[in-house]
Amino acid sequence: MKRLVFSLALLMLAATGPVRAETLQIDGSTTVGPIADAFAEYFMRTNPGLEITVKKTGSGDGAAALIDSRCDIATLSRFMKDKEFKAAVDHNVLPVAHAIAMDGVCIIVHPSNTVAALTTAQVRDIYAGKTKNWKEIGGPDAEIVIVSRDTSSGTYETFNEKIMEKEKLASNVEYVNSNPQAQARVKTTAGAISYVGIGFVDADVKALKIDGIAPTKQTIANGTYPVARPLFMFTNGYPKLGSTVFKFCTFYLTEKGQEIILAKGFVPVTNY
Amino acid sequence: MLESSAIKAKQGTLLDTLAPAADSHRPLVLTPTEDIRGFLTLHLGRTALFLVTCTSVLAVFLIFLFVIREALPFLAKFSIKEFLTSTAWYPEAVTPKFGTLALLVGSGYVTIVSIIFAVPVGILAAVFLSDIVSMRIRNIIKPIIEILAAIPSVAYGFFAVMVLAPWMQQKFGFSTGTNALNASLVLAVMALPTIISVSEDSISAVGRELREASYGCGATRMETIFNVVIPAAHSGIIAGIVLGMMRAIGETMVVWMASGNAAQIPSPWWDLSQSVRTLTATIAGDMGETEKGSPHYRALFAAGLLLLVITLCLNMVSEYFLIRAKRAGGKR
Amino acid sequence: MRPGVRIAIDKIFTVVAGASVVCLCLVLVAVLGPMLLRGGSAVAFKGTVEFRKMQLVLFGQGDEDKIAAESRQAEIARAKIYSTIEKFKGGIDSEALTEKAKQIYRQFGNDLGQTNMSAEDVAELRSVTRNIRDRLESAFASSNTAEVNESLAYVLNFKDDPRIKNTSAAGLIGLAEQYSKDIHGINLAERQRYYQELRQVEDTLIELLGPAPGSATPALMMNRFGATRWDLAQKLLGRLLWYEEWIKQGPGQPMVRRLTPRSQRFAGTELEGLFAYIQQNLPEMLKPRPTFYWQYFIDDSTPGHYFGGVGPEILGTLLLTIIAMLFVVPFGVISAAYLVECASDNFVMRIIRMSINTLAGVPSIVFGLFGLAFFVMFFLPMFGAPSKGCILAASMTLAVLTLPVMIRASEEAIRAVPQTYKEASLALGASRFRTFIKVTLPAALPGILTGVILSLSRVAGETAPVLFTGAVALGPVPKSIFDPTRTLSYGSYDMAVGDKLAAMVPHNQFGMVITLVLLILCLNTVAIVLRSRVFKKLAGH
Repeated sequence: MKRLVFSLALLMLAATGPVRAETLQIDGSTTVGPIADAFAEYFMRTNPGLEITVKKTGSGDGAAALIDSRCDIATLSRFMKDKEFKAAVDHNVLPVAHAIAMDGVCIIVHPSNTVAALTTAQVRDIYAGKTKNWKEIGGPDAEIVIVSRDTSSGTYETFNEKIMEKEKLASNVEYVNSNPQAQARVKTTAGAISYVGIGFVDADVKALKIDGIAPTKQTIANGTYPVARPLFMFTNGYPKLGSTVFKFCTFYLTEKGQEIILAKGFVPVTNY
Repeated sequence: MLESSAIKAKQGTLLDTLAPAADSHRPLVLTPTEDIRGFLTLHLGRTALFLVTCTSVLAVFLIFLFVIREALPFLAKFSIKEFLTSTAWYPEAVTPKFGTLALLVGSGYVTIVSIIFAVPVGILAAVFLSDIVSMRIRNIIKPIIEILAAIPSVAYGFFAVMVLAPWMQQKFGFSTGTNALNASLVLAVMALPTIISVSEDSISAVGRELREASYGCGATRMETIFNVVIPAAHSGIIAGIVLGMMRAIGETMVVWMASGNAAQIPSPWWDLSQSVRTLTATIAGDMGETEKGSPHYRALFAAGLLLLVITLCLNMVSEYFLIRAKRAGGKR
Repeated sequence: MRPGVRIAIDKIFTVVAGASVVCLCLVLVAVLGPMLLRGGSAVAFKGTVEFRKMQLVLFGQGDEDKIAAESRQAEIARAKIYSTIEKFKGGIDSEALTEKAKQIYRQFGNDLGQTNMSAEDVAELRSVTRNIRDRLESAFASSNTAEVNESLAYVLNFKDDPRIKNTSAAGLIGLAEQYSKDIHGINLAERQRYYQELRQVEDTLIELLGPAPGSATPALMMNRFGATRWDLAQKLLGRLLWYEEWIKQGPGQPMVRRLTPRSQRFAGTELEGLFAYIQQNLPEMLKPRPTFYWQYFIDDSTPGHYFGGVGPEILGTLLLTIIAMLFVVPFGVISAAYLVECASDNFVMRIIRMSINTLAGVPSIVFGLFGLAFFVMFFLPMFGAPSKGCILAASMTLAVLTLPVMIRASEEAIRAVPQTYKEASLALGASRFRTFIKVTLPAALPGILTGVILSLSRVAGETAPVLFTGAVALGPVPKSIFDPTRTLSYGSYDMAVGDKLAAMVPHNQFGMVITLVLLILCLNTVAIVLRSRVFKKLAGH
């Protein structure tokens, strides 16, 4: 028995340099994560021998991984910040952005909430803590439970810039770490309000109209919805034509890619 | 030569061992080479073992070095007083604010409440196991406590967020199921095995004479336990409680998933149904998305350093009490 | 106090103390119970024919002929649904019409590329046809009769245009003509409502029964099969049969959910009887059977764990645990040996002991950061390995994490060996080293194994240290120790909060957590059995 354990261990330690199949490392945002997962699944099925690893720890982490050359593609739900660009150039990495899909940050509430539309100013007041009860804005008499994404997420960045206009959030705001968590909070709490990407809106939550415009594929694609944003994949320089990275980053232009993007609930950038 | 006689002694008969250890053919004195070899192996061996033992020192040193190295630029630039006493934690705002008071209060709050839940149950259970119940039943109950200790923290976090939070929201009508109460309850369950095992060890170590003397004076069992045994074992019990506190304050996964992560001090301070955020959850939650090298990143390391310092202090306190307990145990 | 009162208090105290232990047991049951129940349904459940089809396609498991026969039977039962829907859809499916228009436009664009007209002519023709297509689309989408007629009139103007007449773009004109015939007399407002609700019904049907026969195979594996479990099918059936809407109550009151049967919503159309038919014949369409999916512990999974099992995660956790143990046990036992045998109570010793205790108190997240910065970024490049998260870095981080536990347990075990053993061996002439290896260590083995047990539980269950050093959410099975891996602990965390698909498969969420707990309990049991065997062997001597 001891011998078995030891030989197993030796085998593991000896397997240090096998003939490696082609690999692709993807790291970054939790919003773009489902798209990357789905693309990876399709690619691995059509190219046996290709191995793709996807990590979803956050846009900032993806940028850092690209800068350290720890990944081939970084998925970000926001554009790279100035400091990240500078750090990348210092590390001889030239980030090139590919906008693979459009996303809209939807304000969601529980379906039992009578409120169906709000203005940007009203949302700002709620999140800043000035409005505390739903009845002040035409809803039922219930305390507003404010849920936000954590302060380093790309979704939060978009929300902060376009709706909060950088005003500080109230101190009793609950923070969750991912879109599904935010959606789960709203689904189970009647007085909750939160914001998620449009890919995470389903029948269990209600997306509000903002400034009179409902978040649909059309309004996001043509930019009339006030809180629309592109989703990015960043590579180190433009990928070599015909390489796997190139095919992965241009997959969103094909019909199959757009079918996947639509299936995940996002908005394709082009309209075949 | 000594080796051969040792081997013979192990394998041989009584008669063999009575043979003289040395005679003219087998002197006891070592040859110079053997002597030097023995000396070298002894000391080199000792040094090697010493170096291996020092890896733990090296590890602690490296941890502190690394954390301090990353946190120092932040501590040099921002005021430490503001870091420790301001409740405004807005690391990504236009003018970032790094006040960890709300986070510290959050950590302390869930720790203290969890200890309040865990200590009575823990001490009662320890007393029950050591004094009241027979050895057989004790050996049946011990595995239950070991299982509680073996359940990983992510499973507890899972339970807290998927089972306890919805139940709490429905049953009590809280506005949110992920709150301080939720996190405290689960942390109490996680701290219980530590408290029970250390307390039980020290209660068992209290000698029989004390108990018998008390019974001899006519005290009931409860009176003996509360007035004699527990005071005699109090150092060990306190050490156990402090170790439980260390577990609670250092726990990451459960509070990250179940405490709601609102960086606030609950507004009537006794309101457990509000969300709080702890230091550990802040570090784990924010680290993934921060820019490496930004002030936010360094502030998180400063928070980590704060956490290290707090656990170090708690460690020293528990060490002190453990030493006192050992000394008290040995005195008898 | 009177003696009777004191005795009564004593008895009450006994009961209270017993209650606290009962409380502990209840807590254990409360924590593990729901997870076991719901996780157990990942392995033992009622599976449908879709499940068996999926297993065949994805994992090659199952009897191909039997499954094909079952599928055929199921298809016969389902055929009626699709034909009924087709009949109803004819006049109201504006999306299909829009698709057709887009296809014709694309075809026309391709054809233009084949001819040898000048570039300006091509561009002009394309813009004309694009206008036609856009007006046609707005006609299909609108529910205002006047607007529709206006758009159709615009399109029909081009009927006799020579540039379009004999090309594929004439198809657009054909669509316009067909459409104006179809909508003649239909109430367009109702059509919109029918269309939207029909979309809901169709979407639910796709989730329930898989893609409609004849439609394109979806790109993603999860969409290629219908409901694989009977309980999921029941949930979808509920969504199919009932239409949910939220009704306003009074001012200041939240809305309430109202459910109307769908047959009512489609009253008077061909779809009215469809729902009762589906409800009655669902068993025939899905063929549910009790399934025992023990391969759950071996199979790989599709992304998001929608289908499949937790095999790679178990492998990852086991690898991490074993390799970490390989690091920890020698270091721990040797350190403990030194501390017991050769240590004197001087300043250096005190520092070492303090370090061990400090190490025990460091929070797990700080270990994660340390592991990332030291092992991944600094240590690995020293040996020429790429500096990315891998099993080796994660194992070393976990080893440092459990080192204090191992040292403490080993030290206690070695100290507990009676002095007489050591003295006897030394008296027989053995060197100190030999004494330790041959006498003390075997006698301390049970205690050391206790340390191994405690370390095992810690290592297998920790998430924070492996987050940054070696765990990934989606990735291939690791081929060497320089690859990252999926683990049960990180997977459980990801399933609980990170993944959108996970909420659709709660049995997989709970399944993974309970697999982790069971794995740890199994490792514990194996180690306990080993320890009692060693103990018996020692006692026998």
